[in-house]
Amino acid sequence: MTAYRVERRLEANPRHAALARIYGAIIAMVVAGLLLLLTGRNAFQIFWEALDAIFGSQRGIEGVLLRAIPILMTALAVALSLRMKVWNIGSDGQFLMGAFAAVGIGIHMSGPGWLILIVMAVAATAAGALWMLVPALARAYWDVNEIITTLLLNFVAVQLVVWASLSFWRDTENAVIQSTKPVPYTLAGLPGTNSLTIALLVPLIIAAVLWWIFRSTTTGYEIDTIGGNPRAASFAGIRVRFRILSVMLTTGGIAGLGGMLQLSAPGAQALGPGFSAQFGLSGFIVAALAGAAFGGVLVGGMFIASMFFAGLVLQTKGLSVYIIFGIYGIILTGVALGEVAARYRLVRQDILATERAAA
Amino acid sequence: MVSNQSVTDSPATPAVEARGISKSFGGVRALDAVDFDVSWGEVHALLGENGAGKTTLCNIFAGIYRADDGEVLVEGIAHGFRNPSQAIDSGIGMVHQHFRLVETMTVAENIHLGWPETPKIISQAKLVERTEQFMEEIGLHVDPTAKIWQLSVGEQQRVEILRVLARGARVLILDEPTAVLTAPEARELFAVMRQLVDGGRTIIFISHKLNEVLEVSDRITVLRNGIHEITRETAGATAVELARLMTGEETHLDVVHREIDGAIVLEVNSVTALNDRGVEALHGIDLNVRAGEIVGIAGVSGNGQTELAEVICAVRRVESGTISIDGEQIANRSARKVIDLGVGHISEDRIATGMVASAPVTDNAILHNYWGDELSDGLTLDRQGVVTFAKKLVETARVQTRSVFTTAGQMSGGNQQRLVAGREALVARTALIASHPTRGLDVLAAQEVQTSILERRDAGCAILFISDDLDEVLLMSDRIAVMYEGQIMEVFNRREADRERMGLLMGGHAVEEATP
Repeated sequence: MTAYRVERRLEANPRHAALARIYGAIIAMVVAGLLLLLTGRNAFQIFWEALDAIFGSQRGIEGVLLRAIPILMTALAVALSLRMKVWNIGSDGQFLMGAFAAVGIGIHMSGPGWLILIVMAVAATAAGALWMLVPALARAYWDVNEIITTLLLNFVAVQLVVWASLSFWRDTENAVIQSTKPVPYTLAGLPGTNSLTIALLVPLIIAAVLWWIFRSTTTGYEIDTIGGNPRAASFAGIRVRFRILSVMLTTGGIAGLGGMLQLSAPGAQALGPGFSAQFGLSGFIVAALAGAAFGGVLVGGMFIASMFFAGLVLQTKGLSVYIIFGIYGIILTGVALGEVAARYRLVRQDILATERAAA
Repeated sequence: MVSNQSVTDSPATPAVEARGISKSFGGVRALDAVDFDVSWGEVHALLGENGAGKTTLCNIFAGIYRADDGEVLVEGIAHGFRNPSQAIDSGIGMVHQHFRLVETMTVAENIHLGWPETPKIISQAKLVERTEQFMEEIGLHVDPTAKIWQLSVGEQQRVEILRVLARGARVLILDEPTAVLTAPEARELFAVMRQLVDGGRTIIFISHKLNEVLEVSDRITVLRNGIHEITRETAGATAVELARLMTGEETHLDVVHREIDGAIVLEVNSVTALNDRGVEALHGIDLNVRAGEIVGIAGVSGNGQTELAEVICAVRRVESGTISIDGEQIANRSARKVIDLGVGHISEDRIATGMVASAPVTDNAILHNYWGDELSDGLTLDRQGVVTFAKKLVETARVQTRSVFTTAGQMSGGNQQRLVAGREALVARTALIASHPTRGLDVLAAQEVQTSILERRDAGCAILFISDDLDEVLLMSDRIAVMYEGQIMEVFNRREADRERMGLLMGGHAVEEATP
């Protein structure tokens, strides 16, 4: 009889961390399946339909990717702030403000499409960053908790959008109750796809750039150091305030740009109260579960987008929305537990004895 | 009810006994078949270097860890404690190095917190009354209505001890209790320890400070690398012998003191500065350190030493006065500028300001030079070079770690300090500010750090050596400045240093009463 023992790992191992999350998700799906079976539902059929919805057709895959874009943008924004232990809970608001600025430009400016789209992107980035300005200044100079400031500004952003869509930018030509006028410009389509645009490339590029910054630059090292111990960082001569400001504004900018990308997707193009389907929250979950690793954010963002997409399809097939939310919760809990489990390892007593002898 | 009156006294059966205890963490053997016993009514010192297994052994007694092998006997009966409350039920209680008190609550509340005997509903007045009564029984006093944060560290420790005794502990384990205390506070603690032991209790006193162990204990057990070396009566033991048992080698640092007439490197002129609470902590400090010279700052902690080190390193604002390194003004310039001038800083609290505990050894190794030409072109960081650099540092500073990718916070305190001191020795080309560089280190590690500082001195570095251990200051310094309440009281050449006079100055005795 071999005894096993749980031990804390001395160093983080990215491969184990990734695998543990995947195992966590799989175990959670099995648990969810068992619960479905217990309630008399055909779990196998439900999972099959979910998989079929995602991978069964090009439409499915494109649907997932389309949903992934805004989630990835907010997730990248949050992940960047988390590297510095700053909790940007306001990516939803920055996302909306980005879209707000983009709509303003799109409605009121005219010119060549590519130019307007670039101006929209720049304005959206600036608007997202600007929405972060007060929380960033308050955090950098007076150590005001950004969780509260960024969270509360979400509600302000929502009201601003409601106001715009009900009054000064209201669409009066179409029979819509609450929406701004549509923006007549859309991003170029991605070759070989029906509904995707080059917007899909933006989060991929941003993730790659962020990954490089944190892997290979002193800037990334400084941000990680501030995240680990801001006082030690200032003793090392790192300009902590400047970094807090620049990182917070950048995260706001990324979320804002996400709003513009969402707006310029074919079919969206106008802004209303339902414009952000809790993208900030989803992005936050993705960033936190990915442990603020940018590769993990891409995988996690795609995963959560496919989960939501499958949920939507299952809903149309008559599965209750409450059951779907329940399954979401079980799966995300599984991933979260996997993240914790990755910090430990299970070793056999006899192997441990050999290791000790070696040490 | 509150205290345990029935202190058993049977010299034949040890109060607590460990038989063949083994314990490992992450493949590292912390204890290897350790036998150990303590009798009733003794102070038993558990002596050893950091990582020798002292705390691990006591954590097993206190039910925090479970032994991989072996057994713990309390009054001859074997126990396998699964948690601290089982241990306390058997009369074993531990006071940890880091206090576990709720800062915002009163002494009375802390003592009653989580104690099964606390009545479910009780008034503040009754709580205070119970506490006072209990303190009376034990003979240990702290104001029961004071909030923890208002107390000195020594008083907080006393609350911790009361807390454990309240729960009926007859065997009290004190884990390096003097590490956080000033010298007078340590004296008081020793008196308390004697008093408790005279009342029939037993104290296991974990320490690596030889003088204290010789002063306060009845018997001594030495652990080295998780192995039981010796248990003996304290009477007749010598520091040299114990040091050899602890370290396994002869330890003696021979420092040659000189009078240096080299060029002045660090010059501090009439500097005033505020502390964190905005109160003036430095009142016009004048000080200089020459190349190749160690100037020691002697004084009781909290008399402005921290602020002095920080203004020199430009991490604290100077209100007035000037500071220069090789003639270049540095007061209120950037911390980066000071480091670039070749000033190393072993900060007094490595966890708070000297390192990033959550980051790997590599990231900590480069904290004060990552922007230099060796590792960076101004934009990118040469990660391969970082690993090479960290490996070299770990080797030269003798940091014991499984790899350079280990999280720095997972290493022992001694290894963390070796890493920080080694890193700063490399930064220090012109000057080194060493604040309590050996605090919490065991004999061998302390000596290594001291040796590396002496090497910097011999290389022509100007060194400011701050410590509240007068012996250490006398050992290391060529000149000694005594600091009291934000002022330099007097500067001695090492040759003229008079321990008694310095002691008086450290206590502020030579100050005129009329201070504004």
